[in-house]
Order: sequence, then C-alpha cells, then structure tokens
Amino acid sequence: MTAAQSTTAEGDVIQLVREPIRAQGLLDALKAPEDGALVVFDGFVRNKFKGGETLYLEYEAYEPMAYAKMREIGAEIHEKFSVHRVAIVHRLGRLEIGETSVWIAVSAAHRGPAFDACRFAIDTLKRAVPIWKKEFFAGGAVWAEGEMPSQEAISGPGES
Amino acid sequence: MRVRVLFYGQLKEITGVPSEDAELSDGARVEDLFERYGRRFPKLAEFRTSIAASVNQEYAGWSAPLTAGDEVAFLPPVSGGQQTGRQADSARGGPANRPAEK
Repeated sequence: MTAAQSTTAEGDVIQLVREPIRAQGLLDALKAPEDGALVVFDGFVRNKFKGGETLYLEYEAYEPMAYAKMREIGAEIHEKFSVHRVAIVHRLGRLEIGETSVWIAVSAAHRGPAFDACRFAIDTLKRAVPIWKKEFFAGGAVWAEGEMPSQEAISGPGES
Repeated sequence: MRVRVLFYGQLKEITGVPSEDAELSDGARVEDLFERYGRRFPKLAEFRTSIAASVNQEYAGWSAPLTAGDEVAFLPPVSGGQQTGRQADSARGGPANRPAEK
C-alpha cells in the first residue's frame, strides 16, 4: 500500500508520508481565525540508541490499520478536548539523524486543551498505532522495543 | 477456511515473508494460527507473550475467533523511544497491557 493522506470532515490532517514532513505548510493549513493557540509535538531521530551511535532509522507501518488508529485518535481528541483541528503525520522509510519522524499539532481557542490534546495524541500513538522502527548503527541493526498496545486498545467485544 | 496472515517488524524477518494465506479449520482462533506458525518458526513462538494480534485491523485477543477472509496480523510492540521501551518491559510483567491470554 502506498503512503497517502487524508483530511477529515473536522479539517484534521492524518498522513503517512515517505518524504520529509513539511511543517510550515501544515501549520498554515491548520491555523484559523477563531483559534488562539496551536501546540506542536515534533519527534525527530536521535543520534544515540542505548548508548551507541545511531546511523539512521527505518520506520514501517501496517498502513491501513495505522491510518485507522490515527483517525481514531483524532476522533477521540475531539470528544475529550475542546480543540479545533488535529494533525497527526508520521513518516515511513529511512530517516536520518535530526529528521522528523512524527509531527502532531493541535489548534484550539485556548492553550490548555491544545497542550493536553497534543500530549494525549503522541502518548496514544506510541501505544496503539502499528508503526515500528529499526535502528541502524555501526555493526548492526535492531528493532526498537516499544510499548504494548493498551488493554483498552486490545479489548474488543468478548474480551476483558 | 482461508485467512490472510501478515507479519511486521522482527516477526517478518523470522518468517521471511510479509504475508501469506493460511488454511484453517472452522472455529480456529488467533492462538491456533499463531501456534501453527510457532511450530514452523520456533523463534516466532518466543514472541508469544510480547506481541499483539489484530483481526481485520483491530487489536484482538488470542482467543478471538476467526472467519474466512479475515486479515490477521501479528504485531511486535509498536515503536517507542527509550522511555517507552522501559514501560514496555514493565508492561510485560503484568497483565494490564497484554493481549488477553488464552
């Protein structure tokens, strides 16, 4: 499946991309006259991994499920927080040190809900969105250990 | 019945294929499918307690029943940073963050 993008009815932006994330264009699209705050989380590739030097990372996703989970996060944010728009963008493929892997922004009339929603988005994404990263360093590579999906994310009908 | 099986991350490197079709008897559950692959790839079986499964792109417990045409994926813990790695270690020690057992 190729990377694609989608914009929801609320004006949210949910994207999986293989090119560098262009934050400025996203910011321009998100801001609206009725907003008074916009909070951004920019997650980028660190040069250290468990004490060693990272050369680069590769991200892969179970793309249709990742899209579904990212859209669910956006919908949940609109239920929980008084915010205007949400952008959740994750890059896939090879990323160099310092390049943005995940970019989240939340606009709102006031800063409180925007901060809270942005934190909720990245924490939930790390737990529930099926995206994996492989760390490449001198002499090898390893899949990063991540979080398990939460029980809430796993529990479906008939599961406790 | 036939289902589609997907592997991601290190699981894909163990099986050597990202996806394939599997023929199962009626009434089979997610754990039956995983056990079959665990017999075929013993290293895969070691991941039993540290991975999640999904059915048709929703997280599913090991006891979730399967039906023909389902898309089943076996998912390693999702990508986290250093902090999330530690949380994953502690999560594996308790039931709260694991897929439903049996």
